[in-house]
Amino acid sequence: MIKNVLTHVGGIGLYGIVSVCLFFTVFTVALIFALLKKRPFLNHMSALPLADDTYSGPCPQLKGDLRHE
Amino acid sequence: MRRREFAAKLWTKNEEAEMKIDTFKYDNRIVRAFAIATIVWAIVGLAAGLLAACELFWPGLNAGLQYITFGRLRPLHTNAVIFAFVGNGMFTGIYYSLQRLCKARMFNDTLSWFNFWGWNAIIVAAAVTLPLGFTTSKEYAELEWPIDIAIAVVWVAFAINLFGTIAKRREKHLYVAIWFYISTAITVAILHIGNSIEVPAGFLKSYPVYAGVQDALVQWWYGHNAVAFFLTTPYLGLMYYFLPKAANRPVFSYRLSIIHFWSLIFIYIWAGPHHLLYTALPDWAQSLGMAFSVMLVAPSWGGMLNGLLTLRGAWDKVRQDPVLKFMVVAVTAYGMSTLEGPLLSIKSVNSLSHYTDWTIAHVHTGALGWNGFLTFSMLYWLFPRLWNTKLYSLKLANWHFWLGLMGIMFYAIPMYWAGITQGLMWKEFTPDGFLRYPNFLETVLQLIPMYRLRAIGGTLYLIGACIGAYNLYRTAKSGVFEGDTEVQAAPLSEDKHPDGSGHRWLEGKAGLMTIFAVVLVLIGGAVEIIPLYLIKSNVPTISSVKPYTPLEVLGRDLYIREGCVGCHSQMIRPFRSETERYGEYSKAGEFVFDHPFLWGSKRTGPDLHRVGGKYPDAWHYNHMEDPRSTSPGSIMPPYPWLLTQKLDLNSLPARIRALRKVGVPYPEGYEKEDALKDLQAQSAKIVANLQFGSISNAPPDSEIIGMIAYLQRLGTDLKAAAPTAALETPATGTELASNPQP
Repeated sequence: MIKNVLTHVGGIGLYGIVSVCLFFTVFTVALIFALLKKRPFLNHMSALPLADDTYSGPCPQLKGDLRHE
Repeated sequence: MRRREFAAKLWTKNEEAEMKIDTFKYDNRIVRAFAIATIVWAIVGLAAGLLAACELFWPGLNAGLQYITFGRLRPLHTNAVIFAFVGNGMFTGIYYSLQRLCKARMFNDTLSWFNFWGWNAIIVAAAVTLPLGFTTSKEYAELEWPIDIAIAVVWVAFAINLFGTIAKRREKHLYVAIWFYISTAITVAILHIGNSIEVPAGFLKSYPVYAGVQDALVQWWYGHNAVAFFLTTPYLGLMYYFLPKAANRPVFSYRLSIIHFWSLIFIYIWAGPHHLLYTALPDWAQSLGMAFSVMLVAPSWGGMLNGLLTLRGAWDKVRQDPVLKFMVVAVTAYGMSTLEGPLLSIKSVNSLSHYTDWTIAHVHTGALGWNGFLTFSMLYWLFPRLWNTKLYSLKLANWHFWLGLMGIMFYAIPMYWAGITQGLMWKEFTPDGFLRYPNFLETVLQLIPMYRLRAIGGTLYLIGACIGAYNLYRTAKSGVFEGDTEVQAAPLSEDKHPDGSGHRWLEGKAGLMTIFAVVLVLIGGAVEIIPLYLIKSNVPTISSVKPYTPLEVLGRDLYIREGCVGCHSQMIRPFRSETERYGEYSKAGEFVFDHPFLWGSKRTGPDLHRVGGKYPDAWHYNHMEDPRSTSPGSIMPPYPWLLTQKLDLNSLPARIRALRKVGVPYPEGYEKEDALKDLQAQSAKIVANLQFGSISNAPPDSEIIGMIAYLQRLGTDLKAAAPTAALETPATGTELASNPQP
């Protein structure tokens, strides 16, 4: 099937096969990295933008006042 | 059990940290400077775009001034929007968020200000040199070599500041936004240097070392990835920081952001050849570009969904908060343009869309929607916080939002209409097998109402931006600016993270992560570009193709100066609709002396690759003096200055020498005397031809003579060797056979 697809892409030759292999390797490694993450770590990382000094949230007047955390 | 252990370790860490707390200050002044520059350049860039858009239905709008013709204005507009508006916007966001995500002041204040003044000086230099006609002609890389060097120096200063800040951070792990900043810093440096290798032929003139097909591939490796790593990755970093801030909730999926980052930076770099489908680029490179472009949908949409889903549970705020409104439209526009991009990269779609206004619609959805709206949302979020006040007017912000949104609609919809209309008209045949619209101008005149509507869209967007600028100005006036924000944070402990492994370990090693990112980015470019140099069969030689004569060299440089490439392609694709209209399709071997390549990416006017010998010299003379005298209804501006300005003969030796250095086989010493003699002999012939056409007052050393010489040369090498050329194996021969066009 894969061979059939590749042979119908004109002149793609070895480069196409190497490229597709590289892509799947990189994608798979990224996927494995992501799936190995532990929940506390993910929670910590995703909360980083909210952990600095500035008030997060909608426009201050929508909250009534400007609040610094 | 594991959770309890982790909590205990964190508790111990916190206890240790309490023993030593650093007090330091975030630098807000540099953020303010970049933010103000962003607003100023937004208005300049948009206004330049509006003027250029109006010139397409009002060709006399340049009032006879050579400095603001469409050809010179277009690169000014694109540079102002990309590098001035988005560039300053990017620095605004990075300088704000990086300090807070790293819990550290910028590495070096002097470098910060060098970055600011250097970058903006470069933009001013661009604003001066581009209207004066100093351009390399390579899209988004038009600036000449001294400015290229300045860009490299300033960019390195930015990178040092970025990595220096990361090195002194107080937060162990690098948030995903910082990865995007790192990939931006390194990749833009690689792209800029790789695409700017050129040999100077004077203070503001150079020739790239690459020629023809190679130059085209390097340019679009750069051009496509300028979109990727200047307009996309830094803004994705800003999205990952400012969207959670504005929505006051963490990013939807941090796992998804990891996959998003690595797959995006890896795939993007391969997709450049989709700008060159059906051209003389070898077929395998085109196929690679197409395949990776389609794959690009996955990470792009992963990022978009991650952004939009961050708002789950906060959609009620979107109705009220202009910051979130702008962000939602920005992320949606990102999703639309990253779906459309791969669609346009499919060869069958591209055969219709390429060279038309469809591409223009596509890029403006990205620029106005994604970059523009994300920048404005960031500024609306930042200004009240930097000045410790409330936004001056929510009502004005809402006006800005709706005007901007209407502006995008009025821009994009007519351009889609225009693109598809023109693409279909180019390809339409009568039942007898003739082109239904053999006169290219017919297809242009059909689009004029769409160009007018587009200008209305641009005007609405510009008015919105002006209202936004006023609102932000009044916001700043109503508050007190805080130059330094004093904060406290525990220093980074030397010990490893209690649960460090895998990607978490990698995130702690900024240097190693950078190396991984560089390797990933380089693989795609190397696989595509290196074979073009190593495998000779990729560019079949054509023995009759000879270097340009000295007069043609000067004429070609005038063609570059006037930005003709902005409206005229020099690449006939292997479709019957194109070979019927323009002649034999273009071969890779015809461009081996083209430093730079001038294939173009848009046909506002017809393709010129086979224009040589099609019209008499006098026709070109009259056409350049007043295009409507030869082509009634033409939207091309007149170029009367070519008839009076003198050819720059003094620079000829330097140009010949530089071209020889990049590989054009002019004999050694040719530039000393023989070049000038050849030039004079050729110009005398053209003057004689003009006299035959009842034009008796053309000075032999005027610019028009050089321009005519160049135009009359175009595509004629192959005509001279037609029997031989027919035997050549075309790079795109398979397409010609397998994709017969109606």
